[in-house]
This record gives sequence, C-alpha cells and structure tokens, in this order.
Amino acid sequence: METFASQPVPAHVPPAMVGDFSLFSSPGMQPTPNGDPQAAAAIVHQGPRIFYSPVNTRDGRGTWVITRAQDQRRVLQDPETFSSHRSIFASALGENWPMIPLELDPPEHGRFRSLLNPLLSPKRVMALESAVRERAIFLIDRIAAAGTSCNVMEDFAFPFAVNIFLRFLGLSDDRLDEFVTWANELLHGDNVQRPAAARTIIAFIDELSAERRKRPVDDFMSFLVQSKIDDRPLTDQEIRGTGVLLFVAGLDTVAAAIGFDLNYLARHQDDQALLRGDPSRIVLAAEELLRAYPTVQMIRVATKDVDFEGAPIRKGDYVSCATMIANRDPLEFPHPEKIDLTREDNRHTAFAYGPHRCLGSHLARREIVVGLEEWLKRIPTFRIKQGTAPITFGGHVFGIENLILDWS
Amino acid sequence: MKIIVHNDKCQGHARCWAMAPHIFELDDEGYIKPGDIDVAEADEKLAWKGAKSCPERALEIGK
Repeated sequence: METFASQPVPAHVPPAMVGDFSLFSSPGMQPTPNGDPQAAAAIVHQGPRIFYSPVNTRDGRGTWVITRAQDQRRVLQDPETFSSHRSIFASALGENWPMIPLELDPPEHGRFRSLLNPLLSPKRVMALESAVRERAIFLIDRIAAAGTSCNVMEDFAFPFAVNIFLRFLGLSDDRLDEFVTWANELLHGDNVQRPAAARTIIAFIDELSAERRKRPVDDFMSFLVQSKIDDRPLTDQEIRGTGVLLFVAGLDTVAAAIGFDLNYLARHQDDQALLRGDPSRIVLAAEELLRAYPTVQMIRVATKDVDFEGAPIRKGDYVSCATMIANRDPLEFPHPEKIDLTREDNRHTAFAYGPHRCLGSHLARREIVVGLEEWLKRIPTFRIKQGTAPITFGGHVFGIENLILDWS
Repeated sequence: MKIIVHNDKCQGHARCWAMAPHIFELDDEGYIKPGDIDVAEADEKLAWKGAKSCPERALEIGK
C-alpha cells in the first residue's frame, strides 16, 4: 500500500468534526481475507451525517464525508456548488485535463453527454444484449468444461467485462490480458505503476483515434472522431479525455460487481437456491446486490464557501459521496445491513445521483444480470473453495481478488 | 391518476421505464419525455411503483 505524509487538517475544519474513518485505511479497507469492506464502511452511520476525514483520497487528501443518501443526493444534484472537475487521471501525470464527460461541469458537460447518451441508452443496450449473453455463455461453458472450480475474476469477470468493452471499441480479444493489466495497475497500482499505466493507455487511445480517423469503421472511436460539438469536431484532447474515461469506468467496475455478487451467493446458499429456482428473480436481486456491494466513491470540489448541515465547507474542499455509505443509510433503506434479494423499494446510488449518473449504467446492469443468469444456469451449486479465502479491499474503487469457487 | 414529471431532475436512470415502458417513455438519449403522464386506471399500481423507483425523485404522484 502507498503511504503519504498526511496533510494537516485545514484550519477552518472544527476539530470536533474530524472523524477517524477513511475508505483507505479504516478496519476492513486494507486487503482482507474473507473481508466485507462495504459492510465495514457502514460504521460511519454510528456517527454524524457529515465529518472530515483527513486522508481519504488515493493521493492522501482530506475530504468531507457525506453519510446520508439524502445529503449525497443534494451534493450530486448541485454541480454548481459541487464541481466534478478534478483531472484525476491527468493529475497522476502532473497534467491537467478532464476525463469527459465525468470531469466537466454543466453546461459543457451536457453537450458531451448528449453526444454519448444514445450510444449507451437503455434501448441501445437491448440491442447489445445478445452479444453480451453469447460472451458469458462462451466463458462459463469453458469454465464448466475445464473442471469443478475456477478463479472467478481471472476466468470469468475480467474477460467478460473487458471483452464487452473491447467490442464497444471495435477491437478483438487478442490484447485482452494486456488491457486487464493496464486497468489493474492504473486503479490499484503503486506510485510507479499508475503513471506508467496512464501513459500506456493514453498512447493506446491516441493511436486508436488516429487510426480511426484514417479508416473509420462502425465503432465507438470512429463515432467520436467523426462527431461534432457546437459545429466543430472534437479536439484531440477531448477525444483522449473521453476514451480514457471509457477505459477507466468500463473495465474494473463491472468485473468487481460480478465478483462481489458471486462471493455473496457462494456464502449464502439459501439465496443462491432462491435465484437458481426462479431465475426471473435475478433482475431484482441484482439491484439489491448493487445496493449492498457498490464499488465507487464520488468526489466533488466545492466551488464556493457553503455551510452544509453545520459543516463549514470552504471553496476548494473535497466532498466525498461514497456509494457504499449512502447505500447503507438506515434512513433511506430499512435494515440496510440485511441483504434481501426480494427488496422492492431500492433507489440505491450504485451509479450515483445527478447529471453524472453513470453513463454506462444500463450496459453494466445488463452485464451483471446476464452474467448471473448464465452462471447459475451452467454452474451447479457453488461455494468458496475450501482452504482458500477471497481478498477484499476498499480504497478508490472497492474490489475482490482470489475468489476461488468450487462445485465439486 | 397523474404522474407529474420534473424533467430537470431526470438523469436517465430509466428505473421507471424498466418498471413500465408503456407508461414512462424515454427519448433517444434515455431521459423521460417531457409532460405529465395521465395514467389509465388499470395501470395505476404499476405507475405508482415506477414513480417510486426514481433515484432522483423526478416523478411525483399527482391526483
């Protein structure tokens, strides 16, 4: 794990409002065998609705932490006060440019969003479903044919999510392992790996967009290089910013969700039997699993001084809206600690609230549902392989590794 | 029964549409089409559930 000299708590933060919770270092956030980092993060609900966490970003910065779903909605629905412009990817390289559309604010944000929305709309995703299902079936059948246990992340979750992503980009599977490595090093690597992976990904995006400019085909990057915003083509920087976001957002998150979901079902045989017995329940169950095991924290930057429920937020302060915290808010979800796969009233924030609602949410949902459907159809009753322990971790994007399932 | 649509709050989660695509129609970008929705009596329960499914609270149940 990286360590940083923690920065002093800013003078305007009242000492009584400093909390000792961090998504990076609190109990359960470090790599933990058989851990449950989302449940561990719910401990904040024993405390105040907002507090200051002195070290709560990957680069060691402090953030305000918003614990209630209702308050996160207020923050994320108000981009004028809470900006999303952070250059999080570029800053790893000492540069300053936005991932698009995530790190743009309205009204600029809306122009890019309108361009990209139709590509990942609910209706468009319906058209992608057969390809998604075909891929899930291919991978799971291969696993079933190979034996009675597998490493879920390596054998299924990553190849599945990355294949769908590559297909979106119009690329073949040849470089799949390479992509997984880049994504892993970028999101979970150390101070040396992260910038190196970032440069590799940028070079890849630049090369691909140059190629598609010369010879456009029917894929995302060709669409992008031929698109116009306000009657002008996108700049190279904008194309890069958009391509990078797609890469960062599309690879790790869906794979992690599938991992956490299968981990849960392996440990809860009654729920596994419920879904196996009635696969029509999977759509609703997937929502509850998204509520219980989301993986991302949204960070916003205050554009002005604002007092928020007693907290003196000052211009430039970071404000963290962690999905796993809002999703376990007892004021929003009755018995949030109870994972109820038949929960109906479930307006969770796994894909955030506000204008930056995950652009890929509809595709992600389909991938998760199809993945679970085909897994349960093709793999008999499964459990965690004896003598193994999955490793979970918190941080910037929550994840799970070494998930070995067994159905012998 | 009427569903009052607050278009400015819709962020395209499409949970209402997933619940009842014939009641909650989306545009090509995936946001709800503007205008309040008159709900047929037979659809009231479904419309109520759809309105309640909005993470942004963009759908209000009117009389």
